[in-house]
Amino acid sequence: MPTNAPTPSALVRDLQAALGERHVLWAPEDLLVYEYDASIDRARPDVAVFPGDAEETAAVVRIANLHDVPVVPRGSGTGFAGGAIAVRGGVLIVTTRMNRILQVDAENRLAVVEPGVINLALQQAVAPHGLLYAPDPSSQRICSLGGNIANNSGGPHTLAHGSTVNHVLGVEVVLPDGRITWLGGRQLDAPGVDLRGLFVGSEGTLGIATKICLRLMRQQEAVQTMLAIFDSVEAASAAVSAVIRRGVVPVALEMLDQEIIRIVEPQIHAGYPLDAGAVLLIEVEGLRESVAIEAEAAIDACREQGAREVRTAESAPERERLWEGRKAGIGAVGAASPAFYLLDGVVPRTKLPQTMQAVQEASARYGLRCANIFHAGDGNLHPTVMFDPDDPDAVRRVLELGGEIMRLCVQAGGSLTGEHGIGLEKRSYMEWIFSPEDLDAMGRVRAAFGGEERFNPCKVLPSGHGCGTGHATEIRHHLATPGVYV
Amino acid sequence: MTSPSLDALRHAVPSDIEREPHDYAIDGVLPRVAFRPGDRREVADLLHAADQHGLVVVPQGARTSLELGRPLGQYDVALSLLGLDRIVEYVPEDLTITVEAGLTLRHLQEELAARGQYLPVDPPPHDRVTVGGLLATARAGAWRGYLPAARDLVLGATAALPDGTLPKSGGRVVKNVSGYDLHRLHAGALGALGVIVEASFKLAPLPPATRLLALRARDERSAARLARDLWDSHLAARSVALLAPAAASHSGLHREPYVLLELAGVEAAVERSVEEARALAGRAGAQVEATEGEPWRRLRALAGESGATVLRMGVPATSLPELVGAAARAGCLAWGYPAAGSVIAHAEAGLDPAAVRALREQAQRHGGFLQVEAASTELRRQVDPFEHGDAEALRALKQQFDPRGTLNRGRWMEGV
Repeated sequence: MPTNAPTPSALVRDLQAALGERHVLWAPEDLLVYEYDASIDRARPDVAVFPGDAEETAAVVRIANLHDVPVVPRGSGTGFAGGAIAVRGGVLIVTTRMNRILQVDAENRLAVVEPGVINLALQQAVAPHGLLYAPDPSSQRICSLGGNIANNSGGPHTLAHGSTVNHVLGVEVVLPDGRITWLGGRQLDAPGVDLRGLFVGSEGTLGIATKICLRLMRQQEAVQTMLAIFDSVEAASAAVSAVIRRGVVPVALEMLDQEIIRIVEPQIHAGYPLDAGAVLLIEVEGLRESVAIEAEAAIDACREQGAREVRTAESAPERERLWEGRKAGIGAVGAASPAFYLLDGVVPRTKLPQTMQAVQEASARYGLRCANIFHAGDGNLHPTVMFDPDDPDAVRRVLELGGEIMRLCVQAGGSLTGEHGIGLEKRSYMEWIFSPEDLDAMGRVRAAFGGEERFNPCKVLPSGHGCGTGHATEIRHHLATPGVYV
Repeated sequence: MTSPSLDALRHAVPSDIEREPHDYAIDGVLPRVAFRPGDRREVADLLHAADQHGLVVVPQGARTSLELGRPLGQYDVALSLLGLDRIVEYVPEDLTITVEAGLTLRHLQEELAARGQYLPVDPPPHDRVTVGGLLATARAGAWRGYLPAARDLVLGATAALPDGTLPKSGGRVVKNVSGYDLHRLHAGALGALGVIVEASFKLAPLPPATRLLALRARDERSAARLARDLWDSHLAARSVALLAPAAASHSGLHREPYVLLELAGVEAAVERSVEEARALAGRAGAQVEATEGEPWRRLRALAGESGATVLRMGVPATSLPELVGAAARAGCLAWGYPAAGSVIAHAEAGLDPAAVRALREQAQRHGGFLQVEAASTELRRQVDPFEHGDAEALRALKQQFDPRGTLNRGRWMEGV
């Protein structure tokens, strides 16, 4: 493998022959940016390649198999769970060159795209047809649709419309043996075992999507966006269940706590009051009549839980401004702190008040600043812990706090991740929610697809050897050992 | 019946769960033995014992979709899931419920309705099907397209495997990407990769008001146009169906092309939708007829009836009227749901294989598919009920989850 070698290895030469030299990076300095994603893990691949289509992708996979090196798929590298980290080196397959929207069939409400297409680019391409693609991760300006497939990504609007898997009709996939196949098709509910549904969310361990057929939805007639202002996170959390109790399922129900408001507002000027304990961003959509009735019910529910004020966006720009604060929130944390660790956990909606309180207490105990900006309607928490990356003790405390928050979610009957995936980050925690029997069954899926050791190794399933080499991984593994929650 | 292998099976489970085989015939074949376990452990023990002795087990619930799939080559053990019919946990404020697989959808909906909620699916025949059957068959009804499929609503599940294990996947929260979604794999797998014993679902509030309109069109072309216009309009719709004349006639309507529109939502939205639908119908020269839901009831009964040939085609919405027409000309009662891109064809007296193949080819020309949902044993021998996306991957999964072919062997394809 090339470290400082002036000449390319046999692996690199074979890849160059298949893709052309331009599309193969192997010099260490060129590979630096491919050591990272948005998690705090890092590892350098031996080579990064940029195939242009399914056939080239398949050729790369076959070459990697021939040389017996791992394959790791990567989209925009925006994942928070280390899913695109080449822990064992090998070939990083970057999908950014496959970035064409191949078809927008407005009449049949579907689009066919390549995996490197950016989520927002698709939204913009279909909007003139009065259509939308429902999953809207907050990273939609940069995240790729292939990455969305791998992680079964969510976003604020998945509360009403469901995660990515509900919007994928079919995927063309390069399997771990290099074979190209289609899972699903161009219609809803293709016959047979739902391999499409299994593949979506498999975090690049069962293959690489090279074409994606997505279902589009029609834009709604009316939408109303509200900002409910509370004195405390607990009151805002209680209001979430109160809204649902009134038979209203908003399309989005997001929470921002005081910590994040004070970071976001000076940068974005979204209009969030700096003295609020928490705000809920609530959006209802549908027919004019139902929007009016549901908005009123949501406002009543918030007032009943002690909202000091509920503002309604009166125009599209006002609505966008309210959303801007939410969508740019994590970026604002990045500007305010040298480093942050964004967690992703889920609890039943009704357990939000006590869980949020416990999260705040735990952060205080570890002496760490923690901001919360998350999908409250889904019970999907995103505690965001700020720290100094040069302080090794801070890193340790951050990871310990992260582990503790994960335990809180599990104890509340929730889950380890709502939309960011298990990746490298949480595989040691899998034993908290799954028994050895459960994990064995999941291992069989991996075995059936033939990707076991080589295809995105060390991701999703807790595996014993050769994976836990990084500092972060070691700490997490240490935290995970008492598997008392199975 | 006694034999060493069946005795081994009986030893694995308490004696009081054995049933009379004659109630469990499939395609005219009786199982050698039948059981109705009362808990998941018994299900897993039964599967394990059968697996050790080379017996083929056919899991079944309300027995409403037994003609979905290829005829079985071997049928030793009937495994009824009706004994597993408990509600494990219902948290109305979280809009989630966890139930055992043998609970009927009807019972579930009654429990939920008492709290103003429902599971928003209407598979055929929705008054009898069990929750396990709903998932295993992945059949959808008139609401699909506007509402999610059952597999989109399942949050997690536990399945019994032939090795006697009971792995679970997913969880009970509404958003979760931890691990592989085995519950999605079992949804639609006809019990060939494991027997679902428990599942958790995401629920929805019951709409405060519903209405059904029958719109009688001048001709087939204007019916197709009207269905499309309704789909494109902002209505509180839960379903739009395009009916060929014979299907309309069977539903108690005139023998003319119809569009059925089901509205659901808050009263004011439903009211305005009725007005807008009337206006669209008026422009299309269609008559609006009052209906109390009888056509719906009759269509749903058809989609679930056994003895006849029932086909489901998936096609682009733009090709849907053509396929409804083609199925009608082939002698079927035919109707389609533009929002789901699905066409249902029902032939009381059955269809000949050539007609089914012709419809399949036509659906495929439009990039679609045809699945045989029910048919005579003979027809299902001559025409593959399914189209397989990736047979190799399916075989590999079967090899991992059921290497000896204990579960429903041959229902999917030779050996699977």
